[in-house]
Amino acid sequence: MVINWLKQLDELLRGERVRGDLLLQGKIDLRLRVFVPLAIFLGCAYGFFMGFYALLGWRDQALMQLFATTVKLPALFLLTLAVTFPSLYVFNALVGCRMTFHATMRVLVGAIVVNLAVAASLGPILAFFSLSTTSYVFIVLLNVALLSVAGVISLSFLLRALRALARSRAHAEAASEAEQAMSRAQGLPEQGGQAPPPLPGYGDAPPTSPVFTRLSEREDPVLAAQRMRNAVAAAAARRADETVAKRESVANFILTIWVIIYMLVGTQMGWILRPFIGNPGTEFTWFRPREGSFFLAVWNAMHQFFGM
Amino acid sequence: MPLDTASISARFEDRVLTPVLTGAGPGGVRPRWWVSPLIVLVAGGLYGAAMGSWSIQTPERALLIPYAAIKVPMLILITTAICLPGYFVLSTVVGLRADFRAAFSSIAAGQAAVTLALGSLAPVTRFVYFSGIEHAGALVLSAGMFALATCVGYAVMLRRYRPLLQKNRRHRVMLAAWIAMYVFVGIQMGWMLRPFVGTPGMPVAFVRQEPVSNAYVAVGKILWQSLHEVRGAPATDAPRGRPYR
Repeated sequence: MVINWLKQLDELLRGERVRGDLLLQGKIDLRLRVFVPLAIFLGCAYGFFMGFYALLGWRDQALMQLFATTVKLPALFLLTLAVTFPSLYVFNALVGCRMTFHATMRVLVGAIVVNLAVAASLGPILAFFSLSTTSYVFIVLLNVALLSVAGVISLSFLLRALRALARSRAHAEAASEAEQAMSRAQGLPEQGGQAPPPLPGYGDAPPTSPVFTRLSEREDPVLAAQRMRNAVAAAAARRADETVAKRESVANFILTIWVIIYMLVGTQMGWILRPFIGNPGTEFTWFRPREGSFFLAVWNAMHQFFGM
Repeated sequence: MPLDTASISARFEDRVLTPVLTGAGPGGVRPRWWVSPLIVLVAGGLYGAAMGSWSIQTPERALLIPYAAIKVPMLILITTAICLPGYFVLSTVVGLRADFRAAFSSIAAGQAAVTLALGSLAPVTRFVYFSGIEHAGALVLSAGMFALATCVGYAVMLRRYRPLLQKNRRHRVMLAAWIAMYVFVGIQMGWMLRPFVGTPGMPVAFVRQEPVSNAYVAVGKILWQSLHEVRGAPATDAPRGRPYR
């Protein structure tokens, strides 16, 4: 089982499970019962390395801090997902990019797994510095830097996958509309007869238009109907392209907004769940009082580190 | 029995230099994976021994020779081991997994080239030590030798990497990522594994018997103090700005 899971993780990292052609068909081969435990495991791995800093000083309850960090890191990512997922799903539904619930959830879990896999792979670097550095602010900034690298890679994966998903839905809907239009066009006479009724949306030309004039007065009705079908097909294709472009631009806007929300919630979630590293000057505690913000803390850490 | 230098050098070129430079050993066969680490161990050890031989008036100080001979290959190999998982996963994520083997063998060849260059500079280092040089001068000399060898290693790595760079532009990003990671970790590793030359008056030890510290923080403090001195203000260890919570 473990080898199979690692194989699936490897395929995700290589991009084989979220290939463009699969996503365009709306298929996402990411099983939650595999990738959620993988996310927890990889989060624990990075958290374990992160907690090494507490071991250096052998403070009281250093092992407790290590355990707390190991548990809290996957919680940070999964809780952020839980908080932000409903907004992404509902936003998408409201603006018409109707990605399915499960598809969206799978892509988001995949992105978290990518994030944590990259972070865990950088874990040995963090562990080395944690065990060879006493400077608390340095370790804080190093963690911010490593998680930022992992986050940027993960977000690019997420945006690529979600855009492809949105495109697949837009394509599917546009194709469906085009098919309907074509089926209406099939109602045109094949062998003579009266002028066809106007086609709502596509062939709604008035009976006096040149098409119908030619059909009723001079042309063979079969040829006229063929011409009509071609005109409907061209209009349907044009409309499909416009639909896809419109949906994509809306999806991009929504995804950008959502990514900003995700980043803000994620950083604030990290702030609420602190301490992760454990300030050497303070006693171990599971959570600190809710005050200040992540960005203010990073700014202060940079001030302190660079002596500004 | 006379020393057949021509034969020895020919074998050295066939079995060591050519595989490192071209990635193909005698008969065009790809060298085994352990060839580059072995070169690092041997050539790095040779330069380390030369580096640690700056001042060996006492038997105790002579211990610096084997210590440094062990630590130079350690510096390179452990730094690589620490950076490798990150490089592997990043290569996979950016879609270069198929080329990972070729890319990493180029990097390993670069490291082997660095240590070969260092090993070849060992006699120069020993000669300069023999001529008489102060501790600060020995440090500068070592830094210069490492810088020179790094240039050679980078050239070899780039030569081996070139086909990959031509194949896919993303290899540039990964090469830059590797260099950034390696330098970042390598500087701290070198700091941790001090002393290599051995400061006079300090006890001889494999690693300094003092609390662990961070190279970047130490350099930052020195720069900050220098800046204060230039400005005419008294240097202080007290951190400024608002305290971090």
